[in-house]
Amino acid sequence: MSPRDWKADEDLLRLFQTIGRASLLCDIQDSHSGNMAVKVRNAAGVEEMAITATGSQKGDLDAGQICFLSAGGTDYGYYKASSETDIHQRVLALPGVRASMHAHTKDLTIVTLDDAPKPSPVPDFVPVDPLGRAYLGDHVHVDWFAVPSGSAEMADLIPRRLAGHPATIIQNHGTFARARTLGEAFFLLGVADASGRVVRQAQKLGVDVGALRGRIASDPAAHFPRLPGPYEIEDDGLCDFPEETELLAEFRKAGARIFESRLSPFHTGTMSVRGVRDILYAPKASLPREIGGPLRRLPMASAPSDSAELAVHKAIYAETDFQTVMHVWLPEAEAHSRFRYPGEEGESDKIVPLDAEGGFLYLVIPVLPAEAGEEEIIRNLFDYKIAVVRGGGVWAAGTQSLSEVLHHPSSLREICLYRLGAFERGLDLRKMEPKKAARW
Amino acid sequence: MSDPSFGIHGKILEIDLSAGYVRVRPLDPSLTADYLGGRGLATRLFYEAVDPASDPLGAENVVVLAPSPLIGTSAPTAARGHMVFKSPLTGFLGTSNSGGGWAWSFKATGYDALVVKGRASSPVWIDITPEKVDVLPAGRMWGKDIHALTDELTTGFEPAARPRVLGIGPAGENLVRFAAVANDRNRVYGRCGPGAVWGAKNLKAVRAAGRMKTRVHDKERYQSGYEQAMHLIRQAPVTKRLLREMGTAGLVELINVIGMLPGRNFQDCTHRDEDLEAVSGETIAKTILERAAGCYLCPIGCQRHTRVGGKGEQAEAGEGPEYETVVLMGPVCDIYDLEAITRANYRANELGLDTISFGSTVACAMELAERGLIPPAELAGLELRFGRAAVLERLAVETAFRRGAGALLADGSFRLAERYGRPDLSMSVKRLEIPAYDPRASFTQALGYMTSPSGACHLRGGYAVSLAFFGGWKEIPRFSLLQSPIAIRNMQNHGILQDSLGVCRFTGYAFGSEPWSRMLAGATGLDFSVARLEEISNRVAALERLFNLEAGAGKLDDALPPRFAETPIIVAGEERAVSVEIQERMRRDYYEVRGWDAEGRPRPDLLGRLRIAGRRP
Repeated sequence: MSPRDWKADEDLLRLFQTIGRASLLCDIQDSHSGNMAVKVRNAAGVEEMAITATGSQKGDLDAGQICFLSAGGTDYGYYKASSETDIHQRVLALPGVRASMHAHTKDLTIVTLDDAPKPSPVPDFVPVDPLGRAYLGDHVHVDWFAVPSGSAEMADLIPRRLAGHPATIIQNHGTFARARTLGEAFFLLGVADASGRVVRQAQKLGVDVGALRGRIASDPAAHFPRLPGPYEIEDDGLCDFPEETELLAEFRKAGARIFESRLSPFHTGTMSVRGVRDILYAPKASLPREIGGPLRRLPMASAPSDSAELAVHKAIYAETDFQTVMHVWLPEAEAHSRFRYPGEEGESDKIVPLDAEGGFLYLVIPVLPAEAGEEEIIRNLFDYKIAVVRGGGVWAAGTQSLSEVLHHPSSLREICLYRLGAFERGLDLRKMEPKKAARW
Repeated sequence: MSDPSFGIHGKILEIDLSAGYVRVRPLDPSLTADYLGGRGLATRLFYEAVDPASDPLGAENVVVLAPSPLIGTSAPTAARGHMVFKSPLTGFLGTSNSGGGWAWSFKATGYDALVVKGRASSPVWIDITPEKVDVLPAGRMWGKDIHALTDELTTGFEPAARPRVLGIGPAGENLVRFAAVANDRNRVYGRCGPGAVWGAKNLKAVRAAGRMKTRVHDKERYQSGYEQAMHLIRQAPVTKRLLREMGTAGLVELINVIGMLPGRNFQDCTHRDEDLEAVSGETIAKTILERAAGCYLCPIGCQRHTRVGGKGEQAEAGEGPEYETVVLMGPVCDIYDLEAITRANYRANELGLDTISFGSTVACAMELAERGLIPPAELAGLELRFGRAAVLERLAVETAFRRGAGALLADGSFRLAERYGRPDLSMSVKRLEIPAYDPRASFTQALGYMTSPSGACHLRGGYAVSLAFFGGWKEIPRFSLLQSPIAIRNMQNHGILQDSLGVCRFTGYAFGSEPWSRMLAGATGLDFSVARLEEISNRVAALERLFNLEAGAGKLDDALPPRFAETPIIVAGEERAVSVEIQERMRRDYYEVRGWDAEGRPRPDLLGRLRIAGRRP
């Protein structure tokens, strides 16, 4: 194969480019890190692997930086391709796998670091958040490698790890994920990093994560009674309401903001605007600007096929006059939902803003128990417009616009970050909070 | 239920001018819980007291005025009163709101509502203090303008004890169908013609001088809402600066930029920049503004105290013009002469005219005249055509006294246009003239005009413009058919809440229901969660609708004049009209989100849920 033949078609190039840019936006790559690989069928009908070139900038890929490995002859493609091509090649050989991706998931990688002498076994990463539990399982392998980049040992172990798990962690380096599509692989890496962020922030807040893991292990269903459903790979380009041009633009703006502000990992969360008989619904609310997700027009009446999240949207509309609803999996809020004030018993049932903006918008933000039902969520939305469900994400409602409902989780993230920063500095949060907040 | 004396006094003052009795009856505490005060309570008391078939200008019409549980506290802007009556302009619900200090002063006399029935045989005025209520002859006041009336009834008091006067001018006495009732000289209950109802009752004024305090149940809870509200008012650009610096007329340039500022009786929305600049809020601030001020307890301060005519004999001072007045008396009449508009505004304030209906009726007359539909002889020598600034002030006076060409205008634009065979040239809904936001530039605003209980009113119908352009994070699309019905329902509901709390619409630029919920619950000790407030708004909306249905309104009354369907305007480069089909779809969807049937009748299950017992099925 000559370099001139080495042209990814437009769709493939766009796919790599957009995922590359999105992964930079959510900070799971450095300028040149990571790699992406997919199986593609060439013009002759033969399946081959397309993989990013080594040292390429994933945010600015050009067609020449997507490499196709030739089956024979001088393999120009192999020499230009990622140094981890061997790993990807074996991962892609796993049944049902058509895409693999490696990223520098820093939050997750940091919480799996240790200072034990090596070589030695590394404990698995155990998610304490609902997304991690739903999509990564109850543990993710973490492996130490003497040569933790492109080594033969990695090419041997990682595919074996991924045969049984969607993602695996290389200590000191990052995460590999395998999936049916590159989008799904990116989704898994986003979820993995967010899962790491929950643990990292919980640790910073003084949460005994080990004890929490123990409690979760003893009764996972009680901690996560409403896990999100399986990741769907179909219909990402679907839009049921192209004629609602203004609303379409609102969905795209809000979706991009959720993603870019890291209010919910890629393709997680949901948002909706109600009509009279139907609702406009984005089942994958976190949408980078260049990557779509399904935008559905659905009947308002509840249906047995409704997902758990959709059912809550519909219940809120049935019981209230709210016009917009959003549900996101905000790592900062999940971590805060486990916070215990030093010297106090039990996890706090509210998040109290310390910052001026947050304080005037919300005196407190309620944290509801994992088992909170629709009725309790709705009651809190009436009074606070936003509620955190421990192990169940963040629900928000707006009287008018998507922009309005977006503002709530966005503000909540800042509120959480200020609290976290103050706590890290050793300040006494109780002293900083308005006294009256204790009564609300 | 907590001690009912928190937030309210528990008393309704009822006066029958025909029978000549004054009685005080207890306020059922459940009415506060279910209807709050202001618009909610007034609507409820009105509904139970009036025959919907009554003649609006007959003795059987009833006027109800109500302050709210927040009035008398420090809640920002909480001094507004609400008046409900059957409108002589529309024949349906008359519902009108005003700032000023009268409602505060009235509540401080110890009452939560004033119900006026019957008709006095000769002009009277009512004097209310905590100690007594007197109905007194007003013969010597009859014919006086509102400023002179106010001076007469407030002279001789120490400033701290000065009473507040609510009264009518000659327009009300002469039963002009869009006559206003005013307090604090220039704060008016303008829409729907309450002044004519007072005139028909021979009621010239109600003076109130109270000192009773409103007790707050839970000061800390109240204070948390208050502090949040004040912070947000001081932070939002419209409430912290725009309205104070430029008044509501600061909207002139802004509304024009978005293609929504009507001209020439709503024939189009195009204006020359230099023309608009001449009547803009900026120009008012630079040329005629003497000082800005606020209503009682208002931290926003949109009032314009102005002076025109320099220092010579023609100089005079007064209040205004505000945005609606500038546009309806100005560009809608193709007039861009600030001094002429301001002088006409002064006359309208003194004589007691609603400047929206007046301006729009003048514009309608101008179009009829230009089309040759009004015989010149009927114009009493007045040369009436678009752009003639000189006619404004004269028409304001003649209308108030029903003389000259003003006699044609005194019944409003619909009756005027109907008289000359072209009712379609009245830019009104339910015979109430459309305010200064062209409905073709926002479907949501269009639907608000269509479904407002009082006819085309941006305040009762939902102030969609405030959301569409200055809503911050609540900004909504202008042309979404899916979103408009719910958006406007929610805006209307928030308006009902504000009117029932006695607070200003402009607070909505800064915040929604939550701070009010805390202030109200803190003041009264009652459960006023946001959910509860939402239910109250839905209850009031349903009751208002019931009254209108009983008064003969139907689905066909919830429609825009044909011009808005047939003649497009250009908005952001696109032709926009509100076709009959779009109106039909929005109306149908709106009824559904309200829980009304296809004919716009509240469904029995809704009435049951809201605990409303209608008079008729």
